[in-house]
Amino acid sequence: MPVNQDAPLRQYLPYDDRTQTRRQIEDYPRSFTRMPAQPFVERPLTLSELTGPIHLERRLPVGSADFSCLYPGGPRALGQFITVSGRITDEDGAPLAGAMIELWQANASGKYIHEHDRHQAPLDPNFIGQGRFLTDAEGCYIFRTIKPGGYPVGSNDWWWRPPHIHFSILGPCWMDRFITQIYFPGEPLNETDLLLNAIPDPEARQRVIFEPQPTKVTKDLNILEFRRDFVLRGKRSTPQIP
Amino acid sequence: MSQAPVQERTTPDLHPKIVSPFCTIGPFFPFAFVNDCNDLTVFEGRQARGRHIWLGGRVLEEGGHPTFHTILELWQPDAGGIFRHPLDPRHADADPGFYGFGRAFTDAQGFYRFRTVIPGASREPDGTPRCPHANLTILAIGLTRRMVTTIFFSDSPATADDPVLRCVPETARHRLFARHDDALAADGLPGYRFDVILRGGEETPFFRD
Repeated sequence: MPVNQDAPLRQYLPYDDRTQTRRQIEDYPRSFTRMPAQPFVERPLTLSELTGPIHLERRLPVGSADFSCLYPGGPRALGQFITVSGRITDEDGAPLAGAMIELWQANASGKYIHEHDRHQAPLDPNFIGQGRFLTDAEGCYIFRTIKPGGYPVGSNDWWWRPPHIHFSILGPCWMDRFITQIYFPGEPLNETDLLLNAIPDPEARQRVIFEPQPTKVTKDLNILEFRRDFVLRGKRSTPQIP
Repeated sequence: MSQAPVQERTTPDLHPKIVSPFCTIGPFFPFAFVNDCNDLTVFEGRQARGRHIWLGGRVLEEGGHPTFHTILELWQPDAGGIFRHPLDPRHADADPGFYGFGRAFTDAQGFYRFRTVIPGASREPDGTPRCPHANLTILAIGLTRRMVTTIFFSDSPATADDPVLRCVPETARHRLFARHDDALAADGLPGYRFDVILRGGEETPFFRD
């Protein structure tokens, strides 16, 4: 995996709060009880923050990028088949090659395989909804799954999450660590979701919604396609002369 | 809701340089991603060099209440102070039995623990020393962004000049030190305690990210 050999010359500026999910969200109590009261401490970035786990697949095993069945040729999970592809780059457009992506999502009924999920919806014996794989040399990824269902959260079913897929990305630098949730276009629940709508900048909000790709109909398995690119923080500290 | 509803758009990204928005891991981070990831003392069948320890504690929120299923990620140099990464000029000498990354999660009482080594003092490429430390990322429901801090060790010499620690207000520095705790000793290894207080009281200092 190529590594950013020029990393000491790279800049990792603090996130711009306008493009990021607000830290404190009304009606989401734990965003208040867990948010430090003291100001964040400014510090220089040393080798310690500019290095990070590379070849992480040697530590965390990777697997198949097809979540629509448990094994190749196995019975299919229930739900609408989808393919998601995209590219992960830094702020200069340079690809993050060999970055690890971890995904988790609910099944078509809105149920996770997780002992903390209390939602009264059925599990699907042919769907696990979690896995990890790597980006290629161009920073590109692709996986197949089913579209997740929405689900209620909180003990009183006071909030419905829209369908979404969780992404966890681990790049070659500690500053690249990135976690988000990606939503589907046109979902009515998007309009009331506390987390999605806590991103102040409307342009930035679009960066966590899948882009539908042109539909194709073939004689083989037909699958709706979506795309989601990611731009992770980090850029060269001196502008390149064109 | 004070926010405008989300407008749908099907055209390609017009401003691809906007840094992607972070979001919380929520309550369902898969156990399969964290089980058996908290032991940093073995890598590819080899034992790590140096002094093996248990590093653990609790993650608490406001009011001292434990947080449940908080995910902690650790990144640290080996016992010789070398990062397994090409940016470290000494990386060719990195301990083949130590990778440096681990994950743990909190139980219903807010407890987590890692099995790791006491890191050595690392050196910046320009020779500036850093005292022994481990980087910690905290991810949890309710945290829409990651929280980052650094763990130092109470028996390290010469911590006052550390370029990161000296940025922390003097009155709060002691909260970044893991301390001997016999209650966490197990399997013949000594215990070090590092509690993470997300809000209130002896709140842990976190770095701007």
